[in-house]
Amino acid sequence: MNQKILNSNMSIRWVVALKVEAEIILDEYNMNFDPEFTLFQVFRNFEKTRWLILSGVGRHNSAAATTYLYMISKASRSTCWINLGIAGSGKGHYGDLCLVNKISNNDSSNTYPATMPKVTFHKMNLFTSDVPLTDYTLHELIDMEGSAFYDITNKLSGREFICLMKVISDGPNNDIEDLNKFKIRELINLNIANIKTIVSYYEKLSMDQYQIIQQPKILSEILSQWHFSVSQKHQLENLIKRINTLSKDEEIIKLIKDCKNSRSVITNLEAKILNTKVDWSLV
Amino acid sequence: MIETIYVEKIIKEHPRTKLILSKLKKAKIIEIDRYGEIFNKRNQNFRIQKNNPDLILAFKNEGYVLPTPEGFGVGSSKNYYFSHMFNCIYDCRYCFLQGMYSSANYVIFVNFEDFDKEIEEVIQDNKDKKITFFSGYDCDSLALENLTGFAKHITNIFAKYPDVDIEFRTKSVQTEPFTSIEPLNNVIVAYSLMPNLMSKVLDNKTPSVLKRINAMSHLAAKGWKIGLRFDPLIHGKNWEKLYKELLENIYNTIPADSIHSVSFGPLRFPKEMFKDIFKLYPETPLFSGPLSQQNGVVSYDLKIEEEMTSFCSNITENYIDKSQIFKCSA
Repeated sequence: MNQKILNSNMSIRWVVALKVEAEIILDEYNMNFDPEFTLFQVFRNFEKTRWLILSGVGRHNSAAATTYLYMISKASRSTCWINLGIAGSGKGHYGDLCLVNKISNNDSSNTYPATMPKVTFHKMNLFTSDVPLTDYTLHELIDMEGSAFYDITNKLSGREFICLMKVISDGPNNDIEDLNKFKIRELINLNIANIKTIVSYYEKLSMDQYQIIQQPKILSEILSQWHFSVSQKHQLENLIKRINTLSKDEEIIKLIKDCKNSRSVITNLEAKILNTKVDWSLV
Repeated sequence: MIETIYVEKIIKEHPRTKLILSKLKKAKIIEIDRYGEIFNKRNQNFRIQKNNPDLILAFKNEGYVLPTPEGFGVGSSKNYYFSHMFNCIYDCRYCFLQGMYSSANYVIFVNFEDFDKEIEEVIQDNKDKKITFFSGYDCDSLALENLTGFAKHITNIFAKYPDVDIEFRTKSVQTEPFTSIEPLNNVIVAYSLMPNLMSKVLDNKTPSVLKRINAMSHLAAKGWKIGLRFDPLIHGKNWEKLYKELLENIYNTIPADSIHSVSFGPLRFPKEMFKDIFKLYPETPLFSGPLSQQNGVVSYDLKIEEEMTSFCSNITENYIDKSQIFKCSA
């Protein structure tokens, strides 16, 4: 039961260019096509904690799809965003899974995604090109969507909640022309264990962040009993959070049960804080 | 362990950059133009970054030496500070750095010689005044000494100016460079301290208070002047007993003539900074205590501040001359 509640607080959004790159992920995380959304193909799990959008190829498609997914899936500040796809590389080996730690393109300044810590996966610089490139000498990784995905998600979420992972599919010794649906699907499938490791890190990150930013459970109960102005609501939420660290909800209810109005609720809670002597031996 | 190091292109060939990189061979190195591309950008999460901070090696262009805020000092008429580094390897829940920067990554400025130049200019401009410099305002002075060598470098500068004091403020038990050189009378190695019970909750990733006392005892025995910084003073159940035990333990361990000064500072946050820190760490017990906002500052009630300062000062006066005791209000 508790695990179920925790999982329902987790929020992951995938932006993937091609269906063939997404198939293994859709199976693995039980995401199904949702016909409600028609602008792009959208998939989600039953609990609506995991969503995946097929953006199509290119920066404009990726930016539009990411924004669309944000809108329709009600993503929050605790949502983690993942871009998965194949990439060309002049440095890595065919089939390697890489995390991206620097992104450049021809138009704008460089950006620097945070990468999942304490892992042994390769971390590489990504160049996002508007046309397919076959000169692999200048860049570690090459794709056609990454920079747009990062630029948009960095506005929707924090840098630490964004992940770009690429599987090397072509390079000087692996002609891009030889790629086909079966090979792409196989490349993703071969890396699924590592992909799952990365995803589980972001799942935990999302759940932890949810715990930090969520409103105290008791807040709505109090708000329903007295009328609070907008600034009083903020004040109330902060006071409850501060008191909740060391006291249970029942104690808070006891403190305010006889209050006549919102002002006296806040006054009582402030008085509680001012009279608290933290017992450092118990925390 | 630092996994990623961002290096500004302009200093990638700097000998100090090369030295630092040679000590972190396993890290992935990423070239950048300016440290501002990574550091303190919007949409970063200090708390998450703090779990595994990256290192940024950069060139500082200006503002090497700055006057300290009013109320910060240990007796000199003029006080200055400098920071060769932004951010700290420790994770103290009351630290202003949590609210100062949106990024927890470490920035180390490698052009130490520019600090030297400006420090010497300030000394020349204040020849007739008693001045003190503070290292470790935006970082811990000694915690990354093995990597940077900054304390050793800057101590050499102050060796030339025996009338000018330099304080290295720290929670580290790093005793180099001081154990390898002869003590200097104008160098103060100052330790931030609080009762162990509070420190265990609030001073994350730091050496224990006992280890800090051992380190200062070691340096005192070598002849170095020790500063004791009870800043911030933390309120809570049995605070009198806890501070009394701590103070008496220290004064019975460190000889009085090794103590340069003792200062007591209140816990204070500018209102907006408190908001940011509280958003990051709402579950911190520190914020369940009697902090309130007055005149744009979040602090304990003045009565509590004064009670705690007086209590600790009174105990200290039994061991140390009153002229060496300071109340810090910055």
